Amino acid sequence: MTSPITTERVLLALVSIVFALMMLLFGFLFWFALPVFFNTETPVLSLIWQPEQGQYGILSMIAGSGLIGLMALTLAFPVAVGITGFCLFSRYQNIASWIRRMIRLMAGIPTVVYGLAAVFLLVPLLRETFRSCSGFCLLAAAVMVVLLILPVMVMMLDTHCRPLENQIRLASASMGFTDTQTVLYLVLPNSTKAMATAALLGFSRAIGDTILPLMLAGNAPQLTDSVFDSVRTLTAHIGLVLATENGSAAYNSLFAAGLLLLAMSVTVTLLIRKMEHAQFNARRGDAE
Amino acid sequence: MKARLFHLWCLSCTTGLVVCLTFFIGFIINRGVPALSLSLFFGDADPIKGLLGLEPIWDGIWPACVGTMTVVACALSLALLPGLATGIWLATSAASRFKTILALCIDILAGIPSILMGLFGFTLILFLRNWLLPSANTCLLLSALCLAMLIIPYLAVATRTALQALPASLEITALSLGMTRWQTLRVVLLPQASKGIIGGIMLAMGRAAEDTAVIMLTGAVANAGLPGGVFSRYEALPFTIFYYSAQYQSNSELQMAFGAALTLLCLTAAIFSIAGLLQRTPPWRS
Amino acid sequence: MRLKSGFMRLLVCGLCFIPAITQASDLDSFKGLSGTINIAGGTAHIPVMKQAAKAVMKDNSEIRITIAGGGSGVGAQQVAKGLVEIGNTGRPLKPSEAKHGLVSFPFAIDGVAVIINPANPIHALTQQQVADIYAGKITNWQSLGGDDRSINIFTRDEASGTRAVFVKKLLRNSPMVNHANVVPSNGAMKTAIARDPGALGYSSVGYIDNTVKAPALDNVQPTNDACASGEYPIVRKLYMNTKGEPQELVREFIDFIYSPQGAEYIRASGYIPVSNQ
Repeated sequence: MTSPITTERVLLALVSIVFALMMLLFGFLFWFALPVFFNTETPVLSLIWQPEQGQYGILSMIAGSGLIGLMALTLAFPVAVGITGFCLFSRYQNIASWIRRMIRLMAGIPTVVYGLAAVFLLVPLLRETFRSCSGFCLLAAAVMVVLLILPVMVMMLDTHCRPLENQIRLASASMGFTDTQTVLYLVLPNSTKAMATAALLGFSRAIGDTILPLMLAGNAPQLTDSVFDSVRTLTAHIGLVLATENGSAAYNSLFAAGLLLLAMSVTVTLLIRKMEHAQFNARRGDAE
Repeated sequence: MKARLFHLWCLSCTTGLVVCLTFFIGFIINRGVPALSLSLFFGDADPIKGLLGLEPIWDGIWPACVGTMTVVACALSLALLPGLATGIWLATSAASRFKTILALCIDILAGIPSILMGLFGFTLILFLRNWLLPSANTCLLLSALCLAMLIIPYLAVATRTALQALPASLEITALSLGMTRWQTLRVVLLPQASKGIIGGIMLAMGRAAEDTAVIMLTGAVANAGLPGGVFSRYEALPFTIFYYSAQYQSNSELQMAFGAALTLLCLTAAIFSIAGLLQRTPPWRS
Repeated sequence: MRLKSGFMRLLVCGLCFIPAITQASDLDSFKGLSGTINIAGGTAHIPVMKQAAKAVMKDNSEIRITIAGGGSGVGAQQVAKGLVEIGNTGRPLKPSEAKHGLVSFPFAIDGVAVIINPANPIHALTQQQVADIYAGKITNWQSLGGDDRSINIFTRDEASGTRAVFVKKLLRNSPMVNHANVVPSNGAMKTAIARDPGALGYSSVGYIDNTVKAPALDNVQPTNDACASGEYPIVRKLYMNTKGEPQELVREFIDFIYSPQGAEYIRASGYIPVSNQ
């Protein structure tokens, strides 16, 4: 007697709940955001954000998000490679295990705590060093976001490079390579896909963070080319305007911002997946 | 030559990171430890009465602590079954179109910025108010729902990884002995993978406890006392830190922010260390 | 020893009831009531609301009051949508907000003043100077007679009633540059100015304490008395708004704010109480 409640059906039911929630999320955003993009009287893809004058352009916010993401990535990537390299050197094995533990703990530090420390340490430092800056600027936010995305990138690179280094350590030592040379000339050049994945992961985490840009970047809705100027990111914009909601047109611009964020993160996720599949297939090809 | 420069770079990066981290975290600990006292948690109310909920607590972070723990517990209870089921299904079912789509969905869900979950929650309430339930309001349940959506990918990925790490022979042997699918899962697979799964649960708890963007938009307020049920607004630790760090009326409020930051830091550090201990490589992996 | 400390504790607990007894007269009307009041909106109102809520909740444990900020725009929006029972605004309701059937209760007079860091040597500014600073024409404190520092401008978000009053009455609608740092509340403005020696911003007069300095505007020092007498021109009323006529618990709370006890809280927060019309 087969009961109608089989494991398979229960699992499928629960799985479809997850699927349905995701579709709901996408659906809401699309439903509310698409009309905003096609509204020609208050264009949302313009550079001016002045709700009192009826201007709801969020282009400067997109630039803000992109700038923070790119700047954090450019600063964090070399540092991540450096730390991974350090952990791979055989002469530092015991310290390396402590560094790895520290990195894992770092991944758990709440972003608010980073923000709090930065407001009292980094912002006055920047303000006094660079006289033209108010301290709340792109640089402050980018530096803290670097601390945020470093664990993600280091753990990603480490997961890939450590087995590789274990494999070739004896062979390369027998050929006369020092451990530095092994890492620099053998391990890293073979980890380009992992490095690209780590970069993408870091970038997506950087543009997705809300609290650090909200607390540190100044939130001025302007397009700027100086790192010492105040910028607003899409995430901070949503947090600021939703928590201080004004009216229907400003509110709709939030959905446009949300949709753009979603588009950016989905693109990055798809790229990462593609890269991982290519890497998996390449590994399988090597093994055969 | 190049190798020496690289070596130097690696050393300087690591030392730089350690110095920066000690600097920032040391600052928090330095400013937070003097603030640790009963009055940090209970303000000027009597501790026993405040704990039992007999007296409202103002200027204390105990309601925020309780709020955070409540919302994390609710989020976990909402997300546990779907998350685990997704992980189990992804690890043990046959390959199909739906499976690839679902795996893609979980990856995308993992990468979505958390504030979009908050935005979704807020619009859900407005939608419900207009069409279905006119008395709907932002509340603890809504925050728990949005947080649950945030942590489902963590649970699913941890479960899937833990189950996929098991030798295939376990499942095959169990099925060949005549066990049903459910018995295989309950008696053989899940207990073996439990360490990894519990590690994943702890990671999800840590993530839910520290997130600010979601709760900021869906029900956390600056002053609400102890949570009065799931359909009311509540206080939470990350939001309290955010609120008081931006606008402290007096030095004591600033000290409260630092004390709250230290409390949250200790909480997440504890959760993540336990998760790390549990998720280390299982014994049959040589 | 134990008996002695227990007795001391009882004595101290008993002492706590004494102030409650003197307050009983205004809080009597809350006896026997229960329910929740959600309050949101202007950040200038928060100190008053917090003290009143503390007194009510300490006296009657069946009542629950939650307070959120967000700015006047949020207050009007949320009370119109029914998400909160009382929405606070620091400006009169706009027609688009009032048409939802909102009833306004002005309970205090407050001013909006320019604030600078206490370390700043400037003591007085003119209205034209402030307008020029916010328009981006003056960028260094030196041009005003101060130190050689750049002026770091702070402003409020667009939902803020304080900002609306500032732009309308002080700037007289002259344009504002868009590179000013945006902070989400009066408290955040105050802490930002208090931490930065070169900063300039504006906030509610009631929030001004010894961590910031308010320069005289056109030779009028922005104090509570100047606001009450009308000498300082940039004033506004603080309003509580409800959707329709308030029901019993909300009605009691609003009456409590208008009572002598409530007036004390208003004065303690730095505003001037307005009597019930």
